[in-house]
Amino acid sequence: MHDTTRYFYRPVVLLFGAISAVLTLYVVWLTLHNISLLRPGRESFIGLDNYLRLLTDGRAINALGRTVLFTVAATAAELVIGLAISLLVDRDFRGKRIVRAILLVPIVMTPVVVGLTWRFLLNPTNGMMNYALSIVGLGPVDWLGDPNVALFSLLLADIWQWTPFVVLLAMASLESLPEDPQNAARVDGAREWQVLWHITLPALKRALLVVALIRAIDAVKAFDIFYIMTRGGPALSTETLNLYGYISAFTNFDISYSLTIAMVLTILTNVALLLLYNLAFRAPKQGQA
Amino acid sequence: MKRRDFIALALALSSSVAMPAFAEDAAQPYKGAHLAVLMEGHPTTDGIQALLPEFTKATGIEVDLEVVPESDITAKMLLEFSSGSGRYDVVQNNIIYIPGFVQAGYIVPLDDLAAKLPDNYDKADFVPGYLNTSIVDGKLYGLPVYGESTFLMYRKDLFEEYGLTPPKTFTEVAEAAKTIKEKSNGEIAGITMRGAQGIQNVYVWAGWLWGYGGQFITEDGKSALGSDEAAASLDAYARVLRDYGPVGVANFGWEENRVLFQQGKAGMTMDATVNGAFNEDPSISSVVGKVGYTPVPVETDKLKGGSSSLAVHSLYIAEASQQKEAAWLFASWATAKEQQIKSFGIAPNSGVTSQAALNSEEFNKRYGAFKDAMLASIARGNPQYLPTVEAANEIINNAGIAVSKALAGSASAKDALAEANAANDAALSR
Repeated sequence: MHDTTRYFYRPVVLLFGAISAVLTLYVVWLTLHNISLLRPGRESFIGLDNYLRLLTDGRAINALGRTVLFTVAATAAELVIGLAISLLVDRDFRGKRIVRAILLVPIVMTPVVVGLTWRFLLNPTNGMMNYALSIVGLGPVDWLGDPNVALFSLLLADIWQWTPFVVLLAMASLESLPEDPQNAARVDGAREWQVLWHITLPALKRALLVVALIRAIDAVKAFDIFYIMTRGGPALSTETLNLYGYISAFTNFDISYSLTIAMVLTILTNVALLLLYNLAFRAPKQGQA
Repeated sequence: MKRRDFIALALALSSSVAMPAFAEDAAQPYKGAHLAVLMEGHPTTDGIQALLPEFTKATGIEVDLEVVPESDITAKMLLEFSSGSGRYDVVQNNIIYIPGFVQAGYIVPLDDLAAKLPDNYDKADFVPGYLNTSIVDGKLYGLPVYGESTFLMYRKDLFEEYGLTPPKTFTEVAEAAKTIKEKSNGEIAGITMRGAQGIQNVYVWAGWLWGYGGQFITEDGKSALGSDEAAASLDAYARVLRDYGPVGVANFGWEENRVLFQQGKAGMTMDATVNGAFNEDPSISSVVGKVGYTPVPVETDKLKGGSSSLAVHSLYIAEASQQKEAAWLFASWATAKEQQIKSFGIAPNSGVTSQAALNSEEFNKRYGAFKDAMLASIARGNPQYLPTVEAANEIINNAGIAVSKALAGSASAKDALAEANAANDAALSR
């Protein structure tokens, strides 16, 4: 069959494909050298040395672990809390539109402002969090200065900012669900939690998986609040792979190694997301077929 | 008005306007030049910025002054330097980068320019210790904008109340810190210093490293952070901050540390001499007149270098600049004594590099309380205080991680430094 529409979409696909392929190949080419901003004209081809160096670089491997921990914890917490809130507000009540507007506030805030605000809140000597703790006789906690706590403080800020995003999308999906299956189940004598577990949640599954994917991609790339709140410290306890790449480039001026880190992170992220995507969207279809 | 009168008037007017303009053109050979200058966010930069219109008026040279935080400035200029873009004509940075920049061919020697356009440049007026840091192989590469050293600041009132004497060794620092914290029932921290990972904590800890007889790099170019002296110094630094320091010290940079001391919440601090200007400013400080200043202590007689820093930030002219002579005029004007003396009225600035400014009435009035201690610290300031090799930034970063780990207790001082030592050796051999 001859489909003439292909003359319209193929050039566009080709153009985008070519651009990303050229850029990727250029980055790969740069990672095979030892380019440093401090040694102009003295770079040479070093093959896979940068990749081998990354494999044995304990700092990079720890940073990767933190990236995974942060991504999984942030996505999971935002999903659970966001879903719980959206189920609670999934009914008609006065002021629902105001609630929805307020939910938007953290999402539209610039990350730099979010980071600074949380830094003030978490200030160990005159921050609001420690004041609140002192009222109930706890603390003081050194939120950003204690290496065992700092990553969780950053999680707190990320969860605060992005849970509303999950709430908004889940609310929209809930509102578009047909009510008949739920009512039918209730007529058949199902309790509310059974309705929720067996009817509502399975119907929401698709929407939630998409939300989880978007949040996971964002969490892997998270940089702003890390940079503003801790810059990877104290004692490297909040240095993700993203941040390590930044430091390699802009503190150590080791451009090739920094790109190697970015390249490996990109590959790992793509593989992980492709697996997730297949899990979410392909499997049910095959099951149905 | 008759037509003839009008023409006469117009002629008279135009000639009165035109004549001086011709004269100015002769005196302003660089009129119309447009310089791009990159400088650090710092009180001296505020002064230069405020005085810029005078420079433009005198020379006809327009200046675009871009101001960024010190922590970001090196990356910003290196990106432009390495692409040879010529985006910046004049840049400011710490002198520790000079060897790397010279080797890479990013900045140019200034001697020929100084000989050709000597009007603003008075070599003899610069503090010699400052100007010498900008000379490599006998060639001048930078003009010092500001300079400073480090010293120990202590609360005279508390020391008197608790019967303490100004510490001469780091052991005495720890003892004094203990006394202050205990006798004030924990109300006042014994000592506060910078703990934030990176150049922040390294800038202050380096004083302890040298004061314990350690160093960053050996004579044959190997990392020296694995030594027992280094471990002892870091152990002492972390211990005194953990035991007698303020809450949250792990994230203290220059600002947090300075503010805490200004508020009277700490008995001692060790930091840049410019902090004296803030301590003695009644509009922001509650400890005016209560602070004593004394050199950074030493723990041993066998020093490889002094424990006071010598930090100088100079202006350099980029190799890729297309208007080096106009750039020189700006750099020599910005660092001349006239501008330095005027800057006192603009922002708190005790880091002047001109001897005339240092000895001015204005300086003595504002900063007399710590002038002697500052000059003594500068005189014994260690130009190798921070490593000055090509990989300086990476070495400082690795050392900062070690200090942060020891401070947090997530590794012993010896183990943390062994790790930094290996990373630094790798960076030095790359």
